[in-house]
Amino acid sequence: MTASLTGSMASWVPLMPLLLVAIGGFALLVVDALSDEHAELATLSSVVLFCAGALAAVLATGKGLVPPPSGVAPYLAVGQMSQFWNATICCGAGLSALLAGGYLHEHALERGEFYALIVFSAFGAMVLAAATDLLSIFIGLETMSLGVYSMVAYRRGSPRAAEGGLKYFLLGSFAAAVLLFGSALIYGATGHTDLAGIGQSVRDGHANLRLLILGMLMLLSGLTFKVSAVPFHMWTPDAYEGAVTPATTFMSVVVKTAAFAVLLRVILTCFSDELSASLRTGWPGMLAPMAAATMILGNFAAARQANVKRMLAYSSIAHAGYILVGVVTLYSGDEQVRQTAVSGVMFYLLAYTVSNVLAFGSLIALGSYAKEAVSYEDLAGAGRRHPLAALPFVLGVLSLMGFPPTAGFLGKWYVFSAAIASGNDLLWLVIVGVLSSVVGAYYYLRVIVYLFMKSPEPGAAIAVPMRSGYVVLALVLSGYFVLKMGVTPAPYIDLALSAASKLG
Amino acid sequence: MSQHLISLLLALPLFAALVVLFTPRQMVGFIRGITVLAMLAELVASFGLLDGHYETAAMQFPERHVLVPTYGITYSVGVDGISLWLVLLTTFITPLATYASWTHIGTKVKEYAICLLMLEGAMLGAFFALDLFIFYVFWELMLVPMVLIIGIWGGVQRIYAAVKFFLFTMVGSVLMLVAILYLVAQYKAQTGHYSFELAELKLLLLPLKAQLWLFAAFALAFAIKVPMFPFHTWLPDAHVQAPTGGSVILAAVLLKLGTYGFLRFAMPLFPSGSHRMGPFIAGLAVTGIIYGAYCAWQQQDVKKLVAYSSVSHLGFVMLGIYSITSHGLSGSILQMVNHGISTGALFLLVGVIYERRHTRNLDEFGGLAKVMPAYAAVFVIVTMSSVGLPTTNGFIGEFMILAGAFMSAHLGISGPLCAFLGATGVILAAVYMLHAVLKMFWGPITKPENEGLPDLTRREGIALAPLLLLIFYIGLFPGRMLDSMKASVDTFASEYTNKLAQGDRHPTTRDILVVGPQTAALPQPASPLARLDAAPRKPAVRAVADVVAGGAP
Repeated sequence: MTASLTGSMASWVPLMPLLLVAIGGFALLVVDALSDEHAELATLSSVVLFCAGALAAVLATGKGLVPPPSGVAPYLAVGQMSQFWNATICCGAGLSALLAGGYLHEHALERGEFYALIVFSAFGAMVLAAATDLLSIFIGLETMSLGVYSMVAYRRGSPRAAEGGLKYFLLGSFAAAVLLFGSALIYGATGHTDLAGIGQSVRDGHANLRLLILGMLMLLSGLTFKVSAVPFHMWTPDAYEGAVTPATTFMSVVVKTAAFAVLLRVILTCFSDELSASLRTGWPGMLAPMAAATMILGNFAAARQANVKRMLAYSSIAHAGYILVGVVTLYSGDEQVRQTAVSGVMFYLLAYTVSNVLAFGSLIALGSYAKEAVSYEDLAGAGRRHPLAALPFVLGVLSLMGFPPTAGFLGKWYVFSAAIASGNDLLWLVIVGVLSSVVGAYYYLRVIVYLFMKSPEPGAAIAVPMRSGYVVLALVLSGYFVLKMGVTPAPYIDLALSAASKLG
Repeated sequence: MSQHLISLLLALPLFAALVVLFTPRQMVGFIRGITVLAMLAELVASFGLLDGHYETAAMQFPERHVLVPTYGITYSVGVDGISLWLVLLTTFITPLATYASWTHIGTKVKEYAICLLMLEGAMLGAFFALDLFIFYVFWELMLVPMVLIIGIWGGVQRIYAAVKFFLFTMVGSVLMLVAILYLVAQYKAQTGHYSFELAELKLLLLPLKAQLWLFAAFALAFAIKVPMFPFHTWLPDAHVQAPTGGSVILAAVLLKLGTYGFLRFAMPLFPSGSHRMGPFIAGLAVTGIIYGAYCAWQQQDVKKLVAYSSVSHLGFVMLGIYSITSHGLSGSILQMVNHGISTGALFLLVGVIYERRHTRNLDEFGGLAKVMPAYAAVFVIVTMSSVGLPTTNGFIGEFMILAGAFMSAHLGISGPLCAFLGATGVILAAVYMLHAVLKMFWGPITKPENEGLPDLTRREGIALAPLLLLIFYIGLFPGRMLDSMKASVDTFASEYTNKLAQGDRHPTTRDILVVGPQTAALPQPASPLARLDAAPRKPAVRAVADVVAGGAP
């Protein structure tokens, strides 16, 4: 075993992003134990994550990408696609760490372990996104989730946080159990735990069909729980609302990205044969209605919220629905359409990451100690009083709304155009998607309405923006990418396409 | 320089908006000055467009840069006889509206200036765009500044009006987006590569059923913008709540993008679908003419009256477009410009009286001609233009539209009927406009508040004078405009008719679509039309064609 792990030094390069994050996590723990100043932990953790992300982004182009040590190969894929996911995850996690640096300090919640939790969770997410074996899927999933559970319940004194954390933990464990049960059934049906082996056996028709179908449904249910698709979305609003806002940001972008990454990989490697990818008999028959329900329910529920954080929670459910449209498109037999769909989902998740960070970050920026911005009323007139703090929020909601020329528009355009290119079967799903996004436009517009067009009630508490270099940096970075991906999308599209062309 | 004229026109407002953005908000005078100056520079630069060869239908000042090679997105812009006058209308009305309405905007002058500049840039972009992707981007981009203008600087119910305006437009445009994506997917299936360019997509032959759906999606987006009856309900709210500058631009330019969208995109792309739905749309147009006029007649609020008159006037424009005759089409384009001028002037005039009296209720006025003679004179002249009195611009446009509808081969037997019903709209226009003039200006002064009202100020005079000039100039010498649009209009009509005939020769191209992957493997011919000829040689195609035709495979 050790002999196979020691290849040439160069063969470790594709693993560097993962290792960097893992080592960075341990370093954080050591630094936290030895020092009593916390603020530099935010710097350290975000630097680690951004370095790993930048390295992964370079590797995602295919430059310097050599085969990894042979012992890694059956468990983790570290090709272009994994590197793209690594880059997206590190980007989301690094931005969340920056937000935490401002938020925790302002609200007197600063404790060192939060940053270690972010970094280790990000590590779990990267493992999950790269996993090519049912075992590594589970390990990655649990590493990621344990960190997130504790992040949700981080504000120890708050009953809301405890409620959200407990709900997420119980339901999450249940979902993990379902996933594990599904994995066991799939192993029973095919005799394999590695995804490639499962795929081979499914294509050859050697698998025990009943066990396989049940196992597949349970596996997919476990994964769609993590992306908070309807009907597995119940935990989302409570967990999102109870968590401290940087943790919410982390959950909404990193966990979703990793879960979609593994969902794509499982579907592409195991269940892309004609029978299981058929709209009538296979998983698309389950995911297509789920996507429609997720878009409709997510958007309508978000429109009813009075709490902005909760609105963003439901809106993240709706976004999971749009991305699921891209996943369902993988039913297509046309290789080119499939590639468009995969790269569309990748582009969407990257765009969604920066847009959502922008929205949550602006929400953080608009509040300060004991004057946190939570409801729409808190935002009333904030754009008039503090236009600079409100401007990123406008950009963020416009991007989430899918308004050109922002990253969010390109993402929707990409995913929906892939679905339409696959034929007329998904046209209904796209129409449901765009019409429900009009509902989305209503509640996102409401943010702008409150920021700029309303005045606070006389005597009502008003949110006061905080001052923090960390938050400003996070907003500037994500705002830059929201516009950059919207105005000159070509490099990002090409990166996603080239990463999507090789399933590694 | 001239080959980058359009890019210059698009960049200038954006650049000015950036300058304003980095100007301290206390420097109100500077912000106002630089905004109007930038808009005037834009107007002067846009005169450069007149220097094109409009005796041909080809796009003038074309520019083309590939933005996303993988998906065929290009920055492709140009101007022809159809868009030229609408562009000039935009660059002409925007500075006037801005200049005249500064006094109404007391707060957040900086943001208002940025909104107006962005709006101008986006509207021009939508008129210039020859790539569906770029067009959609500009089309959506117009929405945000307008919503902010209504929602921040508007009247009491401004938020309701802004949200309604936004959501109505969104519903239409997202369905148009789906149609664009579908269209491009069909293009990909037929040719093997992506393109969003109008000139390429126009060559596509689509089965009638697909054309009907695609046309419906485009038409819905544009009909909401026009707005055609029964999608007009956002208009009175938006107009009444918007500040004067916003109302003027909304009426004069933004609505034209709907009618322009029909001419530039919906009809050339889907002629068969458009042809099938033509009588229906002409029917809606006539309904709109009469219904809008009736509603205008019933209004007590002058601004609402003018808003409903827009519904009626744009009904004329749509009727002229669907006559598909040279007369009707030219008349429609002319009438778009006319409506921009006369309705823009009316909204300015309503703003003038509102600023003095803070009411727009007809019953509050009466006898104003005695205290404000210049105002009354201008109002009456603009009214005459709106009603369509000979020697004013409105007459030429409406006459050509009605003549076109009467002679239209496409409307057939219903053409004369549409023309007749449309003509009653002209009479109704006289009724509601003169009704308003009567109540406002004639008779004794009933309210003491009206006795001391000051007449037009110099600023208002300067803003209105060019509009009055144009009303008579176009009314007396319409030749210059009609000549330059003739080539484009004739080509539009003949292409439309030809493609209809072609559509009959190829009742369905589903056979081509089904074998998309195989055809994609062929070497690339120049255009999808060439591929149509090449494709049937393949045996697989013939087999599928047999199935489609009902035979056994």
